[in-house]
Amino acid sequence: MKTGQRWLSLFLAVLLVMSMSVLTACSASDKEAADNPDIEGETTETAQTADLVVPEELVGTTINIFSAYGGQEEIFSTFTEDTGIKVEYLDMSSGEVLARLRAEKGDSVGEVWFGGGVDSFIAAKEDGLIEPYVSPFSDAVPAEFKDAEGYWTGVSLVTVCFVVNEEVAQEKGLDIPQTWEDITSPAYKGEIAMSNPAISGTAYTILTGILQSMGEDAGWEFFAKIDNNIPFYSERGGEPPQKAALGEAIVGLAPGTGEDLKAEGYPVVAVFPKDGTPWWPSPVAILSNAENLGGAKVFVDWCLSPHGQEVLRDNDPRLPVRSDVEPPQALIDAGIMEADLQTIDFELMGQVRDDVVAKWEADFGSKK
Amino acid sequence: MSRGIRPPRQRARASDRGALASALLERGVYGAAIVAVLVFILWPTLAVVWESVLSDEGLTLQRYAGLFSENAGLLWNSIWIATAATVLSVALGLVVALYMRHSKGIRGKVVFGTMLLTMISPPFVSALSYVMLFGRRGLITYDLLRLNVNPYGWHGVLLMQMVGFTPLAALLIYGVTTGMDPRLEQASLDLGASSFRTFLKVTLPLARPGIVAAGLITFVRSLSDFGTPIIIGGNFTVLATEAYLNVIALYDMGTAAAMGTLLLLPALVAFVIYRRTMRDSSMYGTPAEDAGYPARLPRTMRVLIALLTWVFVIFVMVKYGTIVSGSFTKTWGVDFSFSLRHWEGLNGSAIESFWRSIRYSLVAGVGGSFLGLLLAYVIERRRFPGRRAVEFVAMLPFLIPGPFFGIGYAIAFRQYPLALTGTAAIVVLNAMFRQIPVSAKAGAAVLSQADPILEDASADLGASRMRTLVRVVWPQLKPAFLVSFINTFTATMTTIGAIIFLISPSAKVATVVMFGAIRSGHIGEGTVFATLMIVVVLAVNLGFSWLFLRRSGTSRTKGVGYVSSLEALDQGV
Repeated sequence: MKTGQRWLSLFLAVLLVMSMSVLTACSASDKEAADNPDIEGETTETAQTADLVVPEELVGTTINIFSAYGGQEEIFSTFTEDTGIKVEYLDMSSGEVLARLRAEKGDSVGEVWFGGGVDSFIAAKEDGLIEPYVSPFSDAVPAEFKDAEGYWTGVSLVTVCFVVNEEVAQEKGLDIPQTWEDITSPAYKGEIAMSNPAISGTAYTILTGILQSMGEDAGWEFFAKIDNNIPFYSERGGEPPQKAALGEAIVGLAPGTGEDLKAEGYPVVAVFPKDGTPWWPSPVAILSNAENLGGAKVFVDWCLSPHGQEVLRDNDPRLPVRSDVEPPQALIDAGIMEADLQTIDFELMGQVRDDVVAKWEADFGSKK
Repeated sequence: MSRGIRPPRQRARASDRGALASALLERGVYGAAIVAVLVFILWPTLAVVWESVLSDEGLTLQRYAGLFSENAGLLWNSIWIATAATVLSVALGLVVALYMRHSKGIRGKVVFGTMLLTMISPPFVSALSYVMLFGRRGLITYDLLRLNVNPYGWHGVLLMQMVGFTPLAALLIYGVTTGMDPRLEQASLDLGASSFRTFLKVTLPLARPGIVAAGLITFVRSLSDFGTPIIIGGNFTVLATEAYLNVIALYDMGTAAAMGTLLLLPALVAFVIYRRTMRDSSMYGTPAEDAGYPARLPRTMRVLIALLTWVFVIFVMVKYGTIVSGSFTKTWGVDFSFSLRHWEGLNGSAIESFWRSIRYSLVAGVGGSFLGLLLAYVIERRRFPGRRAVEFVAMLPFLIPGPFFGIGYAIAFRQYPLALTGTAAIVVLNAMFRQIPVSAKAGAAVLSQADPILEDASADLGASRMRTLVRVVWPQLKPAFLVSFINTFTATMTTIGAIIFLISPSAKVATVVMFGAIRSGHIGEGTVFATLMIVVVLAVNLGFSWLFLRRSGTSRTKGVGYVSSLEALDQGV
């Protein structure tokens, strides 16, 4: 009930802001319009379907993005074609972005933070490193995919899956694993690649999914069985599928289906674990003191617009946050429709992170 | 301290005002060098350490409580792997340096070129080729030998660090041996000592400054290397890795900085040992123009040295060859057929990032070398209070894991008076000062083995200090300049750990683009970048050495620099 109320008031606030911006756009002078470079002419009714309107004065400007997203080069060039706003980007992991923002103390060269793990965004919100912005397109995004105050908004859902090297599995006479239970089997000893939950959002989400769905004690016990099959933990979330592709492991626990690896010709298949698929929303946020605030807002709007969602989906096969955009074929092929997405409490996930990581470090990590 | 009898300085009086101006200029130059070290090394370092005593309520030493007991195991791992890597790298480096000294013609040049190329190998290049070759499905281990080995663990770290650190050690030692006086060895042989005894009692002591400088550099570099253990260490972790994880994973800069300060302990010990050893080595030669060739080594040693050198050279060539062929291979590990498809993906912005990398690296290389050598001279030859402290501060950039050095810059140069956020300058300065330890140590090694009598002679004959610096000291430092330039250039071309916190999205450098490609699974594209980088680094380094050595009119067997410094003396007086 309480969340519902907050929701409603937020919705009304957005409505208010937007109708005001419509008013100012109609009546105001050029100067005021420049000060208020919101999307013009939107009403909530048309927000679902309307095209993006870019204020004239933003065309030709540039936004700087810290980004961790597949196919980002193509995504950004399409954005520039659509809006006339240029993009410069830097490929950084969420941990790196957060460390950098803290060092720069809210005076960053960047304007937008795009993609990565939710927990970093939650931490940045606490430190006042990102600005709230509720996009007019944001109400098409379900509440569990975004921050209630608009500090960050999910643009896609990353779903964890097994990337399996078919060739090696066949050679060793193993079946393609279908469940978490399957990969606890001693037959997979030394053949499971996972990244370090202390660094990788993917791995931390996997751990969270197990702990939240099974309960603390049973969860750790179950994880210990998987750990038996993991020779060691690699640094980044993107490494396990590569290890599976190169045959360094049979199963890589991966943030996606490894489409790039398949395209390269590696003998891998993707499987969503039938007994619960961990996932998280990959956010976009505007950094504090963004120089080109107007341009940054247009980027957020674009990401959440139906067209932007399609562009994102086509360049990196993840689940769109909008229900009116079809899931990518690659995920459908891997069985996302039959997959059982876990219920994950991201607020809690952020709160207990230090404790969970510390326990993992002590029992399974490098200090073992 | 006295080195011979000095004649009274008569000429100096001839123009007192000029002498004063020159002395002031000299002081000013030294002062500027020291201030630069304090501003661009000490300050950013303190900015990071400061974080470790800050808490929400004010100052605290809480992070240091129990620091030692909790991390003793990691510290021990750091120390023993660094010690092992140092012993192995320096031993192999000495072998390779001796081979280069004794072999004339094309073979020596090939080895020299290989060392230039591989002086700095970005950890991921090594890791990539290591896994491609020796991984569980590696070309050699699996496809050729049908082995199923586990490449991950301390042995992988040690092997990769050894391969990575040996070329720099070899070049540092080689830089010193080129300045050695072969007549000392000749004299030993003439007096009836065996060639092995001559090597042990004359050649090795002469090369000692190079050996201990290489040892210190390698030790400190290994202590702060977090990348190799992360990539290939498996369950084996060291302190630097854990500190890095605290920044990136736990967002706890304070604890990370506190852990980093633990690394100061072994580094200080190494530094004291280095100082002791350097002080004792004062065996100067006074080579003349016709110094002859170095004494031949004993036969078995020659064979052994050649064997080890070539095994190493072939190993690194295979390593780099793997990367190059990877860029022309359709899909490594699956389809080894020839393909240009990875190269066709190169676009304008990627090429642009390469040009930017080259520009940054040239500036950093030239600037850093001048500054580093100047520092070496000030520290080795001038007495002033606190010079040991300045010397240790100049070592810090190698002791601090890369990301810390980057974050330190981001914090320190965020605001007035030095607001550099997002500029090219902050990137170049960071890359340049990060390599100052090598530049300074290369200079110190050459200077400590060059006889100060030349400088005294120049001063006694009436040349101003500034003139002595330019005409007498500088020519002797040329081989050190070469090593230092090549090191800084290559390091800047391939750096990533520190600058990711500093570069602006609109001014990307090549390594960032390459890392992005590898991270998103485009291994083939990554090898294309690595190949281009190998070509650029090799071309610039070879071109630079050729120009440099040719212009200074020296050959590899003569005492580099002495000839021209003698000529300078002639003209100056």
